[in-house]
Amino acid sequence: MEGEEGSESKQHHLSAGTLDPVFAQKKKHAVMLDRLATLQQSRLQQSAARSAAAVAASPAFESVSAFLDRFAESRRSIEADVQGCRAMATDPASAARLKPELEKMAASIADLDRLVAENSYFLPSYEVRSSLRAIAALKEALEAANSELLPRKKFSFRNKAPKKDPTFLVKEVEEAKVSAAPEKPDLAVVRETPGFREKEGSILIKHFRVSEEGEGDFTLADLNSCEIYLRGRLRALFIHRLTDCRVFAGAVLGSILIEEVSDCLLMLASHQIRIHHARATDFYLRVRSRPIIEDSHAVRFAPYRLLYEGIEEELRDSGLEEETGNWANVDDFGWLRAVQSPNWSVIPEEQRVQTMNVSDNAK
Amino acid sequence: MGLLSIIRKIKKKEKEMRILMVGLDNSGKTTIVLKVNGEDTSVISPTLGFNIKTIKYQKYSLNVWDVGGQKTIRPYWRNYFEQTDGLVWVVDSSDVRRLDDCRSELENLLKEERLSGASLLVFANKQDIQGALKPADIVKVLNLDAMDKTRHWQIVGCSAYTGEGLLEGFDWLVQDIASRIYMLD
Ligand SMILES: Nc1nc2c(ncn2[C@@H]2O[C@H](COP(=O)(O)OP(=O)(O)OP(=O)(O)O)[C@@H](O)[C@H]2O)c(=O)[nH]1
Ligand SMILES: [Mg+2]
Repeated sequence: MEGEEGSESKQHHLSAGTLDPVFAQKKKHAVMLDRLATLQQSRLQQSAARSAAAVAASPAFESVSAFLDRFAESRRSIEADVQGCRAMATDPASAARLKPELEKMAASIADLDRLVAENSYFLPSYEVRSSLRAIAALKEALEAANSELLPRKKFSFRNKAPKKDPTFLVKEVEEAKVSAAPEKPDLAVVRETPGFREKEGSILIKHFRVSEEGEGDFTLADLNSCEIYLRGRLRALFIHRLTDCRVFAGAVLGSILIEEVSDCLLMLASHQIRIHHARATDFYLRVRSRPIIEDSHAVRFAPYRLLYEGIEEELRDSGLEEETGNWANVDDFGWLRAVQSPNWSVIPEEQRVQTMNVSDNAK
Repeated sequence: MGLLSIIRKIKKKEKEMRILMVGLDNSGKTTIVLKVNGEDTSVISPTLGFNIKTIKYQKYSLNVWDVGGQKTIRPYWRNYFEQTDGLVWVVDSSDVRRLDDCRSELENLLKEERLSGASLLVFANKQDIQGALKPADIVKVLNLDAMDKTRHWQIVGCSAYTGEGLLEGFDWLVQDIASRIYMLD
């Protein structure tokens, strides 16, 4: 079944069963698993049936090399077409045909996308990944040709924002109660979500006491120049619109979703970390899977270095005791290419903060 | 016998169903699929592209397409619409702030001609999180009652984390598709 698994199959094998609570319907499940064992068999029969019927309409190859040949051929032909368009652009007589040609290429690239999709169930995850990368590169080449040959508005990257020195602010110490301000009053349903919201220049401290099944989520939103300590275990953490803040948080069992932060330092541990619209921010992470960024710029990464009494145990209980090294395996969804994304970097050793012992702050 | 009828016959004999899983990023699609498939869910990265699983479910073979929901890759969802028998829309019931996004993305999806015949299962996921919205609340926020009357749909509260609700949801979906496609033999 190796080849059928998604691109994450390797990671699954590395980390069998750390964090799986009992599945209530185990029995039903066992039956399903049995059936799964026969899956490979039935797939073989199915593909035999397919070739018997000589189905040629939709190119499902079921052979890695046949797929790769076909993929390479299409790719070469699209690349050649891009070159062809550049040549056409220099000749005024054929310039009018340029636009339909470019559109045709976009369609060929979309076909290639579909080809990968249709065949990905039997392709090794490496092939899927590299095919997708190749497609992303083709799209980029086409886009470049589009914008060069059919001039429209100019596009440029913004400059790196200057990194501010982290400042230390002690104005007020506050143990937050649940603040209930609903963010979208037009929603028919309003829910009181626990969190810190709309604060400026404060030190905010929250200690999540251990209560067996009572772990919930927590939100940090609209904070400016604050220092935030979250201690204890959580299921999910949402971070939204923070500027010039420093956040030190313990173990988050599920995922952390971060949107619109700038000039911050965030020290976080979780199974998944997703970062959207971040600018000039340093992340110190312990993370089980690959962290991702989207629409972000000048973000930097380093390993998690938080200490307080009992943190080791809390990390272990959340399956986060292991330093996976994934803090450095950042996927930039806006940059699916082999070369390093210009949007993120690793913080040089000498610029990293020291291990943060917050036992006194985070009581 | 024409080619098409041969293909139909193969499809019919093996009782294949094509299921498309979509929803915002972080809603739990990949975790749900792996959990239903009995696989380890302790290390899952956000989906860059898509995963396909074939899951034997009762006497059917489900071809499950789990497509990444990050904003940059949502435009690619439409590459996967063709021949979808069942649509699973996954909601993170604890992510109150993005429910607006969630509603508009679902609305767009349901306008899609190629999905008009598909049964719709809405999973109100992450029910294990204290204070997550209940399925009835999600129905209101997503305005599901206003949906086209011809659409077969169902909402099920679930947790990919504990597994609760997952089989109930897939049971409904598979039965609903079967009653349309295979006339419930
Ligand atoms: N507490 C809790 N966490 C969950 C549940 N389902 C998923 N999660 C967590 O939510 C995060 C996102 O899950 P994924 O399965 O990767 O989400 P996805 O919808 O596939 O995301 P994309 O691939 O980006 O579209 C992970 O960290 C999961 O552990 C659930 O039922 N309860
Ligand atoms: Mg996923």
